[in-house]
Amino acid sequence: MDGIDRIAWARRAMPVLGLLREEFGAEQPFAGRTVAACLHVTAETAALVDLISAGGGEVHLAASNPLSTQDDIASELAARPGVFVHAKAGVDRAAYYAHIHAALDSGPDLVVDDGCDLVNTLHAERPELLPGVIGGCESTSTGVARLRRMAAAGSLAFPVVAADAGVTRRMFDNGYGTGQSVIDGLLRATNILLAGKTVVVAGYGPCGAAIAERAAGLGAQVIVTEVDRVRALDALMRGYRLLPMAQAAPLGDVFITATGSRDVIIDSHFELMRDQAVLANAGHFDVEIDVRGLARLAVEVNMQVRPHADEYVLGNGRRLILLAEGRVVNLIAAEGNPAAVMDLSFAAQALALQWLASGQADLSAGVHPMPGWIDAQVAGLTLAALGARIDELTSAQEEYLASWHEGS
Amino acid sequence: MTIQTAVLIETLVALGAQVRWASCNIFSTQDHAAAAVAVGPDGTPDDPRGIPVFAWKGETLPEYWWCTEQALTWPAEGPNLLLDDGGDATLLVHRGAEFEAAGQVPAPADDDPEEWRVILGVLADSLAADPRKWTKAAGGILGVTEETTTGVHRLYEMARAGTLKFPAINVNDSVTKSKFDNKYGCRHSLVDGINRATDTLIGGKVAVICGYGDVGKGCAESLRGQRARVIITEIDPICALQAAMDGYQVSRLDDVVETADIFVTATGNLHIITAEHMSRMKHQAIVGNIGHFDNEIDMAGLARLPGVRRNNIKPQVDEWIFPDGHSIIVLSEGRLLNLGNATGHPSFVMSSSFTNQVLAQIELFTRTGDYPLGVHVLPKVLDERVARLHLAALGVRLTELSKEQADYIGVSIEGPYKSDHYRY
Repeated sequence: MDGIDRIAWARRAMPVLGLLREEFGAEQPFAGRTVAACLHVTAETAALVDLISAGGGEVHLAASNPLSTQDDIASELAARPGVFVHAKAGVDRAAYYAHIHAALDSGPDLVVDDGCDLVNTLHAERPELLPGVIGGCESTSTGVARLRRMAAAGSLAFPVVAADAGVTRRMFDNGYGTGQSVIDGLLRATNILLAGKTVVVAGYGPCGAAIAERAAGLGAQVIVTEVDRVRALDALMRGYRLLPMAQAAPLGDVFITATGSRDVIIDSHFELMRDQAVLANAGHFDVEIDVRGLARLAVEVNMQVRPHADEYVLGNGRRLILLAEGRVVNLIAAEGNPAAVMDLSFAAQALALQWLASGQADLSAGVHPMPGWIDAQVAGLTLAALGARIDELTSAQEEYLASWHEGS
Repeated sequence: MTIQTAVLIETLVALGAQVRWASCNIFSTQDHAAAAVAVGPDGTPDDPRGIPVFAWKGETLPEYWWCTEQALTWPAEGPNLLLDDGGDATLLVHRGAEFEAAGQVPAPADDDPEEWRVILGVLADSLAADPRKWTKAAGGILGVTEETTTGVHRLYEMARAGTLKFPAINVNDSVTKSKFDNKYGCRHSLVDGINRATDTLIGGKVAVICGYGDVGKGCAESLRGQRARVIITEIDPICALQAAMDGYQVSRLDDVVETADIFVTATGNLHIITAEHMSRMKHQAIVGNIGHFDNEIDMAGLARLPGVRRNNIKPQVDEWIFPDGHSIIVLSEGRLLNLGNATGHPSFVMSSSFTNQVLAQIELFTRTGDYPLGVHVLPKVLDERVARLHLAALGVRLTELSKEQADYIGVSIEGPYKSDHYRY
C-alpha cells in the first residue's frame, strides 16, 4: 500500500473528520488563513491536514518526532495544493528543528502542536511572528504541561486549547483505544489463547479497567492489583479478584502493567512467576516492569523468540516472556490507537481551530481547556457517523431540570 | 404447584384430560395457585369445581408423601398417564408394586434417611389396606413424562436394572427444556431467590457454584452478571475445563470454603457441602441449594453439630449460629432456593418446558405404540416445534431455508435441522 491508499484506509475509520470536511468545505472557516502544524506525519494526521485544506487553510506541516514520519504519507501530502510538508524519517536534531522553522516561515495565523516543540521554537526563536498568531491547540499531556509552565512564566503570547483532556478524547483514547490495542499487541506478539488463562492487570485506572474488561470478555480470569483504595474497590465491586502483586505473581499467565508508576513488577515477583508467564507494559514509559532487574536475574536471555517477544530463563529454570522490551506494548507490537481514536481527537482540535479562526473565542493568552460544547459536538458527530439517534429534551423537561420548586 | 403449573393443568384439562395433582416439593407450592386450580374457573371456594389438588407451601415429609399418594389414588379407574417432576410419583408406583410383589414392605434400617422411612410407612399402610393397589396402578399407566435431570436419571437406572414398569419420555433432555429451563430459568431465579431472601449486594462478593452443568452454567452467569467473582467446583473434567475457558476460577471447595461469601450447590449429587464445611465458612456466609433434592447440603449434619443453634430470620431464611459465635445463613433449609425463596423459573421458561410436557403427554396417549417400554426423548421435530411456538412472543423473525440450501445440508425445509447428537 502506498501513501494514498493508506490515507484512504485511515479516512474510512475517521468518519467524524469526514462529516466536518463537508461542513468546512461549504463554510471555508480557514479561508486566507495559514496553519503551521507540528504532528506525527501519519495517515491519520493526513486526514486532519486534508480537513484544514478543505476549509480553505494553507497548511505547513513539520514532524513532531523524527522517528514517526512515514515518508510515503509525507510525499503524498506534499503533492497536494496548499499543503507544504517539511518532514523526513530519521533526520537528525538540526534537520528536525530546521523543518519546524520552515513551517514557521509561513507566518502562521494558527498553530497545531504535539509536544510543544513548534510553539516553544516560535516563542524562543521567531518572536517577530508572535503578533500574527491568533492561537492554537496542543494534543499531548506532555505538551500541555510545557505550555502551562510557559504561561506561568508569562511567556505564552497567545491562547492555546488543550486537546489532551477532553471528555470524548479520554473516553476513546484510554478506554476504547488503549483497551483494544493492548490486547491486540499481546495477541500479535504471542498468539496465546486468553480463554482459561489468568491475566493480572496492574492498575485499575481508565486503561487498566479497559484492559481488564477485554481480557475477561475473551474468557480470561482477571486479577487486578492496585495501590489506590477507591480504584481497588471499584475493581472488586466489578467482580475482579483483587490481590497484591506478590500474591498475584505465582497465579498469572499474563501480566499487563498500566499504572503510570515504576517498579510495579520487580525481582521478588519474577522469582514467583510460572514458567512461560508473559509480561507486557501498557504504560507510557518502560519503567513499570523492572527490565534491568529481570536481565540481572536471568541466567539466559533468548532475544526475539518471536517478534517483540524475548525469553528470560531464570535460575529456577522458568522462562518468562517479556514483550516489546517492557515498552508500551500496544504501540510496538500492534499499531497503537486505531484511527477512530484520532478521529475524535483531531475533530475536537479542528473545531477548536475553527472557533479561534472565527474571532469569537475571545480567549486571553494562556492554556484553555477544550470547551464542553466542542466535546458535545464531537460526540454528536460521532453518534451520527455511527448511525445512532438519541432523544431530545422537551421544553417541559428543560424547564423541570432547570427548576428547584418541584419536589415530591 | 405454581401459577405456571396451573397454566399447564388448564392446558391438559382443555385438551380433555382428567387431572389430579400434587406438588413435587414441600416448599414450592404457591397456595393461591393451588387454591385457584382447586376452585376452577367455574367454581367458588364454597363450591369448588376445579381439579383435586393436594399441595400447600410448607408440607412436612409425611404430608408430602400423603399428598403424592392422594394424587395417584383415583376414585375409579386411573391414572393412565403420569406427569412427574423429580420422579417421586414414579417412585411411589414402582416401589409400591415391588413391595406388593414381595408381599411385604422392608423395615427401615438405622441409617436410612428420614424421607425413606416416611415412604416405607406410606407403602406399609397401603399394603395393609389394598395389597394390589400399586400393581393395578402400574398396569394401567401408559407412560410417564419426566421433567427433571434427577427424575430422568432414576428412570434410566430403572430401565438398566429392568425394573421400569411403563414407558417414559425424558422431557428434561429436550433442548428446549434442559438448555432453557436449567440454564435460563436458574440464571433468572437464583439471584431472585438470593435477593428476596437476603437483600445482600452481590457485586464484589465471592460466590462458589458447586457444579457446572446446565444449572451451574446459568447460576454462574447470573452471579457474574451481578459482578460477583464466581468460583466453580467440579468433578467432571469436561465441565471443569468449560468453566476455566469461560474465565472462572475452578477450585476445590476445601480450598475456598473459608473465604467465599455465597455458596450454591447445583450438582444433582449428595454430600456436597458438609457440616464441617459450613462450620469453617466465614461469618454471615450465605448457603443455598438449587439442585433438585435437599441432600446436596448436609442439613442434618449441621443440626447435629454440638452447640449449634438455629435462628429463623424469616420464612426459608435461617441463621445457624456456631458455638464460637459466628453464623451462616442457610436458604430454604437446603432445598431449592429459587423455588423456596423466590418463585422459581419465570413463566416464559416454564412455558417452554411445559410445552414439551404437553407434547410428550400427547405422544404417549395418541401414539402409544411408538413408545415401547424404555426411556425415550421427544423427536427433534417436536423440540423444534416448541421453540417455533415461542418465537413470535419475542419478536424473532426466523429465516427460512431455500430449497437449494436445504438440499445442500441434507435436511427438509420444515426440519428437523440438526442430527440427534448435535449439542446446541
